[in-house]
Amino acid sequence: MSLVRNFIEDWSRYRRSINEGGFHEYEHMWGMVIDLDKCTGCNACSVACYAENNLAVVGEEKFESGQGMHWLRVERYWDEPNIGNERVRDTQEHGGSFMPMMCQQCNSATCEPVCPVAAAYHTPDGLNAQIYNRCVGSRYCANNCPYRLRYFNFYSYYEDSWPSPLDMQLNPDITVRDKGVMEKCTFCVQRIRSAKNTAKMENREVADGDFQTACQQTCPTTAIVFGDLLDHDSEVHKLWHKFQTKLGTTKQKKDNPELRGYRLYEQLNTEPSVTYLERVRDV
Amino acid sequence: MEAEAETCHPRPRRSLALSLWTAMMVVALILGNALLAKPSLADEIMTPRKQVPSAFSGWLDEDVGPFPGVVAPEGTYEGKDVEQPIEFPHDLHTATNKINCLYCHTYARRSAVAGIPPTSKCMGCHSIIATDRPRIKQLTEYWDKGQSPPWKKVHDLPDYVRFTHERHLKKFLFDNPDMTVERVDEVCALCHGDVTKMTVAKKQKPLTMGFCTRCHQANGGTFDCQKCHK
Amino acid sequence: MSKSEFDRRDFLKVMGVSGVAATVAGCDMPSYITSEEGAEEVIPYLSPEEYVIPGVGVWYASTCLQCPAGCGIRGRVREGRVLKLEGNPTMSLNSGKLCQMGQSALQSHYNPDRLTTPLMRKDGALAEATWEDALALMEEKTGPSSGISGHRFAWYTGSVSGHQNVLLKAHLEAMGSSNHFVHEVINTRVWQAVCKEMLGQSMPTLRIDKAGLVLSFGADFLGTWMSPIQFSAQYAAFRSGDERGMLIQAEPSMSLTGANADLWVAVRPGTEGIMALGLANVLIHKERMDASVLPPETQELIARYNVSITSRITGIAGDRLIRIARHLKNRSPSLVLAGGPAAGHTTGFEAVQAAMMLNILLGNVGETIEANADFAFPQLAALGGGTTDLNRFAHAAGSGQLDALFFDGSNPLFGAPDHMNLNEKFDAIPFKVAFSTFMDETTARADVVLPIASAIEDWGTHVAAYQNEQHEIAFQQPLMEPIHPLTRSFGDLLLALNAMRSPGTYDEIDDYYGYLQSALGAIPGVLKGEDAAEDDPLDIQLWNQILQDGRLEVPAETSLFTTSVSIKDITSPPTDEAFPYYLVPTPRSSLYDGRHANLPWLQEAPDQISKVVWTSWAEIHPVTASKLGLEEGDLIRITSASGVLEVPVYIFKGIHTDVVCVPMGQGHTEYGRYAKGRGVNPLKILDPGEDTRTGELALYGTRVGLAAAGRAGRMVKMGNTESQHGRKIVATITAEQQRRNEGES
Repeated sequence: MSLVRNFIEDWSRYRRSINEGGFHEYEHMWGMVIDLDKCTGCNACSVACYAENNLAVVGEEKFESGQGMHWLRVERYWDEPNIGNERVRDTQEHGGSFMPMMCQQCNSATCEPVCPVAAAYHTPDGLNAQIYNRCVGSRYCANNCPYRLRYFNFYSYYEDSWPSPLDMQLNPDITVRDKGVMEKCTFCVQRIRSAKNTAKMENREVADGDFQTACQQTCPTTAIVFGDLLDHDSEVHKLWHKFQTKLGTTKQKKDNPELRGYRLYEQLNTEPSVTYLERVRDV
Repeated sequence: MEAEAETCHPRPRRSLALSLWTAMMVVALILGNALLAKPSLADEIMTPRKQVPSAFSGWLDEDVGPFPGVVAPEGTYEGKDVEQPIEFPHDLHTATNKINCLYCHTYARRSAVAGIPPTSKCMGCHSIIATDRPRIKQLTEYWDKGQSPPWKKVHDLPDYVRFTHERHLKKFLFDNPDMTVERVDEVCALCHGDVTKMTVAKKQKPLTMGFCTRCHQANGGTFDCQKCHK
Repeated sequence: MSKSEFDRRDFLKVMGVSGVAATVAGCDMPSYITSEEGAEEVIPYLSPEEYVIPGVGVWYASTCLQCPAGCGIRGRVREGRVLKLEGNPTMSLNSGKLCQMGQSALQSHYNPDRLTTPLMRKDGALAEATWEDALALMEEKTGPSSGISGHRFAWYTGSVSGHQNVLLKAHLEAMGSSNHFVHEVINTRVWQAVCKEMLGQSMPTLRIDKAGLVLSFGADFLGTWMSPIQFSAQYAAFRSGDERGMLIQAEPSMSLTGANADLWVAVRPGTEGIMALGLANVLIHKERMDASVLPPETQELIARYNVSITSRITGIAGDRLIRIARHLKNRSPSLVLAGGPAAGHTTGFEAVQAAMMLNILLGNVGETIEANADFAFPQLAALGGGTTDLNRFAHAAGSGQLDALFFDGSNPLFGAPDHMNLNEKFDAIPFKVAFSTFMDETTARADVVLPIASAIEDWGTHVAAYQNEQHEIAFQQPLMEPIHPLTRSFGDLLLALNAMRSPGTYDEIDDYYGYLQSALGAIPGVLKGEDAAEDDPLDIQLWNQILQDGRLEVPAETSLFTTSVSIKDITSPPTDEAFPYYLVPTPRSSLYDGRHANLPWLQEAPDQISKVVWTSWAEIHPVTASKLGLEEGDLIRITSASGVLEVPVYIFKGIHTDVVCVPMGQGHTEYGRYAKGRGVNPLKILDPGEDTRTGELALYGTRVGLAAAGRAGRMVKMGNTESQHGRKIVATITAEQQRRNEGES
């Protein structure tokens, strides 16, 4: 009986949003803002991610079957009237819509509760973690992710991905994943750990700007801002505040509904930690 | 872990730097020996610990630590003998000659990895000390070829584990009011066994996840998977 | 443990990253599962610097050589390996930012297809050789006793600058030759020539960030045009200022910049200049702008292009022209740019002139186009390449004017159209030496191949062609020891070549590093005090500071513009019954001109527009597709007077209906495992033709016929949908709303 009661208690605690205390006593709440109006779709963030996180290059055949391991992919959409055979004589009136998509580090993540071995879990700094050596490859998490942002190692990609001496580039701060393991964006957890380590060695807290994620650091237009949402002086907190996006809701209630911030698919109650700022069209 | 030092490029200008280094080492050694006569900093570093906890026998029994403020991790392991390119005598350096662990393994307090000391550090002493011994001759041979001996790794963790020496030393040694630097070998011994009694190091602790977590549990370490798994 | 597992473990050990995340059943598994004692070697440093700590990364500054923009980089070095590159924040050109090509420089360096040993041609084939033999042969063929005379020797390079350029010049001088061909397919030579003529200086500072509106005729300033990272930062400021800037892009097929435009205009290739004239016409005659800054002849010319005529020639609706003109007037200061397809015709110069005339008419000169200075040390300034030199080279080689050729950093046999017959002409040169890192198409036909150090292993100084108001020399320094022991620094080789021709002159200098140090020491106030005597020692602290910053700022004394407007009429391309379509061989900021096709990260990085990976494709409009009966992925046959290509199609509306666009970069016949035999090279089927004023090849002037090849090709794309299907994925608001909410804060 107590087992059932514990389960129900834990479950309701787990589903509680951060505004009500949430599941954890959070030390940090790493979050991001991506300004889609500044994003040019240049793809630098994606390649920076390949370089930082030992992402395998799978080759044309495997990419064709949807195995591209791009933790951060830049999606590109054309607007409706410009697609297909409607108004077929026209050409495009304006550019496309680009969207850098990486794991949204949901605070009420759909991937976590379905993991049979608890390899996907939530960390006390608000990260949606994936423990590779714990993962047994059930792929439930990926099937449950509405963003399609989890990538599975169907093969031992490392066998072909880094022929010598390309392997010398591999980042020793991160594992090279073997087949049967699910992987995804970690918000560059190795950089977070290293910054926290430095701060702890200096007996202080991590400060805003101590480190950047790889995508943020390289972004030529500074469209990506990353930081601690609990730190009220951080750039990222100020932006969330400015655009009135909040955690702990499935529908943002803003004083000014025209403000640009939104979270992708937040109506699904996933509680993403990434706020996108809407693209602006001037016509 | 990532001290972002900005520096110019390390262009090896070996000849000059080396001779300077050697000279400094010689001076340091002579000074160090001279200072040993009086109680001093060098004394503190190089004298044996006052109260040796009777071997490490008590460790396995209960949560009574070898020194205050710490609960020792439990677990033993029968390591195999590892054949090293040069049979390095830890006991001779630490027990007999009273050299502090951190003198050679200096990276341990500054980095995630303790590191093997650079060969220049060996040569700092051994270009003048015991140069006639066979093992030193072996070392000198490597040095003259401009190579480091290819040491074998004894203590290794799987690559999905993130372990940092500097933070553990900080907790157990530098932030521990009851410990002093000269007793660092007791801290090292928590995971490496009593190296002062070994010649070539041999693995004496299991270094498994259970070993780690038992200690984390007893000493209030983290239980967040992603802190230790990468 | 099975054999295969054992191999894998060995493999991982060599990598030092044996991160096999296999299952570990329990917490107290015996340790042989995870980490054996004595199985792995750990080799300590021999004699490290004080700041080198195992496990701790150290950052070194250097310069990115992936394209001629010359951004500053910093490399993270750990345990002797460089692991990651970032932009160098102290460098004013890119202020800490980097593009995907820059990120991928690591893969050029660690590439498994690097040349590792010298090669010499023996019985028709390249065979391994020693450096001694290779250099001896070079001495025999080009040394003082070779009898080779003056102009019969030539250097062929990509864009060069800094001390590399100084040494190249010195070598040419010693050889008595002035033949230095500088080849760059993607360049801004036409823009520079127009600026020189109309403003009196070829590289004025552009201030996108200060503009209220940017009208760009084909200049892909976010992708490949001039200094994309710097312009990207300006673009961010342009978009997020109090008054959000508006971007209008007019081009035949959509570039990355076009894909970010508020208004994108499909213009018939070769009529961009006429569009500019038509806009001037509207501005003067409809919007009543003061035209007195323009000379009467120019005003007359403009008067001829009223809305209906311009609309007929360019294919752009009249009301749209009027709307653009109104925006130009109302959102002052604006900035009009022209490049890429606008400049790539026989009338390219005139088209860019017409665009610049708009800047003068709109009063942008001095506002968003600022006067800059000549680089203080002209001998170090950038020698920017172009395609004129490819043409000149083809002529020189074809008429037997060359006896010996040294080439580096360029791949003319890949970039040359088939009609030039450059392969044969190249083979006819008796002695060709390649200074290469890869076996590319040109290197494969050399007589001697010298493996040189990668950009990450070498020293150097570089001066970007486009400098902003802060002029700087960028420093390149090795981020790690050479991977391949037999490769040599290009700078060292240049010194050796110079010493060969001018014995005695270079005796004092050990190597290129020493040369750079003393060369900088010779500039007053750089490495020693202003009044230091010649034989005073160098201040090594200052030198270290420069290396740490990766840059040296040099004074720039701005000279004033001398504006002159005298533009010519533009003949629009005639219709061609046999070849009714236009071929646009567009560059993309990934494979660039083909030099990055051997980098797996960039091959697998989806194209910004089509999202295709690992291959070539042709972009066509749905109208064209339905006319030809093509669906996405079907092969299209593209026929020009000079050749044929077959390539799968990507269908979208970001392209003019008379245009087929095939991005350049693929179609290598050499160049390693990742590039060879992939896709097609559109440059091969270009027709002859060049810009009449600058001599640059008319890259966008080729007319083609299109037909369905009758079968499906293979085209792998990221994502299966082009549409958001009504979901709120990329949400959009109007600029009006944004202004209301964020404008005045």
